[in-house]
Amino acid sequence: MKKQKLIANIIKTIVVCGLLVLYIVPFIFVVVNSFKESKDVTANPLALPANFSFDNYVEAFKVMNYSNAFMNTLIITLVSVAIIIICASMTAYIMVRKKWKITKYLFFIMVISMIIPFQAIMIPLVKIYGSIGMLNSKWALMYMYLGFGVSLAVFMYHGFIKSIPMELEEAAMIDGATRFQTFWKIVFPLMKPTTMTIVTLDVLWIWNDFLLPSLVLVSSDERTLQLSTYYFSGTYSVNYGLSMAGLMLSILPVLIIYLFLQKGIIGGVLQGSIK
Amino acid sequence: MKRRKILSLIITVVLATSLLAGCGTKAKTDDTKAAIATDKAVKITMLNTKGEILTQLEAAAKVFTTENPNITVEIIPVAAGVSPFQKISTMYAAGNAPTLAMLDPNDIPKVADKFADLSAEKWVKDASAGTLDAGSVNGKVMSFPLAIEGYGLIYNKVVLDKAKVDPSTIKTTKDLEAAFAKVQATGVAPMVLSPMDWSLGAHFLTTLYMDQSKEVGSPEKFIGELKAGKVDLSTNTVFNGLMTTFDVLKANNLDKKSPLAGVYEKAAEHLGKGEAGFWFMGNWAWPDIKKFDTANGQYGFIPVPISNNADDYGNSQIYAGSSKFIGVDTKNNDANQQAAGKKFLEWLVYSESGQDTLVNKCSLVPAFSNIKLEIKDPLGKSINQYLTDKRAIPTIATLPGDHWAQVGASMQKYLDGKSDKKALATDIQNYWKNIK
Amino acid sequence: MGNEKSFWGKFKTFSIYAGPSTFAFLTVMIIPFIYGVYLTFTSWDGLSEIHKFIGFENYIAVFKDTEFWTSLGFTGWYVLATVIITNAIAFLLAYVLTTGMKGQNIYRAGFFTPNLIGGIILGFIWKFVFSNILVYIGENFNLPFFETSWLADPKKAFWTLVIVAVWQYSGYMMIIYVAGFMNVPKDILEAASIDGANGFKKMKSIILPMMIPSFTVCLFLSLQRGFMAYEVNLALTGGGPYKTTELISMHVYNKAFLSQQYGVGQAEALILFIIVATITLIQVSITKKMEVEA
Repeated sequence: MKKQKLIANIIKTIVVCGLLVLYIVPFIFVVVNSFKESKDVTANPLALPANFSFDNYVEAFKVMNYSNAFMNTLIITLVSVAIIIICASMTAYIMVRKKWKITKYLFFIMVISMIIPFQAIMIPLVKIYGSIGMLNSKWALMYMYLGFGVSLAVFMYHGFIKSIPMELEEAAMIDGATRFQTFWKIVFPLMKPTTMTIVTLDVLWIWNDFLLPSLVLVSSDERTLQLSTYYFSGTYSVNYGLSMAGLMLSILPVLIIYLFLQKGIIGGVLQGSIK
Repeated sequence: MKRRKILSLIITVVLATSLLAGCGTKAKTDDTKAAIATDKAVKITMLNTKGEILTQLEAAAKVFTTENPNITVEIIPVAAGVSPFQKISTMYAAGNAPTLAMLDPNDIPKVADKFADLSAEKWVKDASAGTLDAGSVNGKVMSFPLAIEGYGLIYNKVVLDKAKVDPSTIKTTKDLEAAFAKVQATGVAPMVLSPMDWSLGAHFLTTLYMDQSKEVGSPEKFIGELKAGKVDLSTNTVFNGLMTTFDVLKANNLDKKSPLAGVYEKAAEHLGKGEAGFWFMGNWAWPDIKKFDTANGQYGFIPVPISNNADDYGNSQIYAGSSKFIGVDTKNNDANQQAAGKKFLEWLVYSESGQDTLVNKCSLVPAFSNIKLEIKDPLGKSINQYLTDKRAIPTIATLPGDHWAQVGASMQKYLDGKSDKKALATDIQNYWKNIK
Repeated sequence: MGNEKSFWGKFKTFSIYAGPSTFAFLTVMIIPFIYGVYLTFTSWDGLSEIHKFIGFENYIAVFKDTEFWTSLGFTGWYVLATVIITNAIAFLLAYVLTTGMKGQNIYRAGFFTPNLIGGIILGFIWKFVFSNILVYIGENFNLPFFETSWLADPKKAFWTLVIVAVWQYSGYMMIIYVAGFMNVPKDILEAASIDGANGFKKMKSIILPMMIPSFTVCLFLSLQRGFMAYEVNLALTGGGPYKTTELISMHVYNKAFLSQQYGVGQAEALILFIIVATITLIQVSITKKMEVEA
């Protein structure tokens, strides 16, 4: 029995490792090439950098106005994600617990709305908000992220709330807690994996988002990190060395946040398991 | 009970404040706009759709402000993959269109009703012949030509010298074939042919329209006939001559084993390193060739021959035209901003630093004859020489927005050997017949 | 006040829990959408000051646009391939990576990294891989499979799009499946183990049914991402070679902004929406019915 398990484990590890390498290779490739000059990137893509230099990074940092763009992106992402989590979890909760017709319709409308191609509403959106002067501000952008992001979050919470037994809530309410308290003290903490997942997905989406900020934010000091990577492509060609350095600079923070959040997800698992 | 009330109150307040913050910004912009009118300081924006000169433009903007302290210019870039037309449409829809908008010539007619009439500007009289046409609507100059760009067969002189080929003697298709053979004999690939749809559709194939006859307006006339379905390309001498040349290029292409796999940067590398003798491309490619330059800057253009008769129209001419036009917006920018925008354009043409920006920093061939600065890059120099020698045919600027994509795709099929001349001719004819 | 049954009580509850979401959602997505629909019935070209009502003209043009329908068919195959392969890999990975094996976190982070790279840059990088790196490998190691760029051949180019999509999204879906696996109550699994159920039976009778919410979400997301794919398409193949890999979003975008027929482009976007919405609604209602409440 133990030997079988050992062999199974070894096979598992090998397969997963192999797959992992395949997945990471393009990424490693970006890292390696970001230290090369742009012309070397296209001339010898596989070679290690002849002159290992941080030039691309320094240049990218300057050109992207990194610290400013970083702060903008950080604020926008964190605040938007926080609002989405708060609003969507509550919405999904009430949809599952109260079998009202109106919430059923609302749910389906939200789900379908995720299919709407962004370009179908791009110009009307900009026209409407432009005419009421709500463009070129971080707050308008965050509000729009709430509007766009709430559907997916509600969709995900909706599925997972069902797995939380009603008895827990009923017990709490019998003990005198209000629905609101029950939600925040009992239900929400139990949905930690879901919350962490949504946080991960939404942080990534908003951090990397390009189109919406390009429409809403106009002035250069409001720019996000993604918008700052404009600089690296010309009309006909791309400055590969710089773009790769720029890319690394923009995703490093997210990678760190993700690794950080991983611990949170693990915490959630350990709480509910004794293997 | 009480806690729930407080919590809901807090949430309402937070949301309300964020909404108000949004409105607050609006009030501010209104105030600033009013301030601009009474104060002397003006802020203008310029939409840049030429990615490769973005940093130079931003530097230029700063220089401009030191020379004109009341005006600040902010450059707005576009991302790769976003067409200038889309960007300007969304900006007008949002009501924050830039003071100066750099657009492609075929976008101008659609936006011209929002632009200021620039016919009375100082630089109009200094514009080189024909450079204003594509940016004018109904005879009125509605936009400013930023630069002239030209294309043809770029040659690497060192490679040609070794093969004992004198580029100025290539006047016919047969001459070209002979030259290719000589280069091949030295062990170097004769040429590299880029497969990008914009290169084949917008640059190579458009020769078809422009070489029909020497008469002014003949390209437009020819296109009119195509739209009416009156043209049979398979009997058109220019088409057949052009395609014969294309076959020669195809046969001598470095990438001929896999013609569609070529990439722009690789082609520049091949030419720069002397791995190929010729490249069909334009003068904008100089910065990319320069990176690999082993010929010490000795490059130039020769025209693409379309027949075996040296005197035929098109055999000794390069194609060049204004590739970007800048318009001044009147809808979202007040009188002060428009005036400041016009000042910036004037500055580009008449001030030392402006001219330096255009010619030296951005490596552009200016459209104005008063600018006497020497063009330093070999490709720009070559194009300029053709212009001075009056051996440049103006590129047609009124093609439909998707021409290069559609026709380019058909050309690619032909290049890949999946289509023949007849099918290509039919494709092109059908494209024009179905255009609205 | 505390009475949740009365209309006023219901309204209050609704506003507190779902109010902000609904308001933002309606004003950011629905209202512009309705305005967009209105615009498809006009002759607006995206730029001019005025427009006139032209009824169904734009829609008739859509039906006449054969390229739209070819592109839609092509996109259908693409979606089929990506949805199946992505979800299969994601599910298996999530399963393996929630069994408590060593270094689980590193693996999870690793598989997720492709997702960190966004749209256009991702396309450029892979274009680079296919046209430069693989060709370099193919030529130097004599592997005819890679010798010519995959991007130059219509059939192979299709698979480049699929490969990149799978690479990009399997990590994303994996995360959702991981959360799903973790939501399966451990005590039920333990009870089943004690009762003598083996891995396969556990999977079939307990895990899979409890994982259906994850399937709902992942299938939906991969369908949506598939049909709406644009940026990678643009940067990787650009719709080439000669327009053989033009996915539907690219076609719609080009119609609106390249061919400058904004009205027709919008109408196409709307029709695309209706088609995809129908497909996904069917998918969601089927899988939602299968969801089990604990």
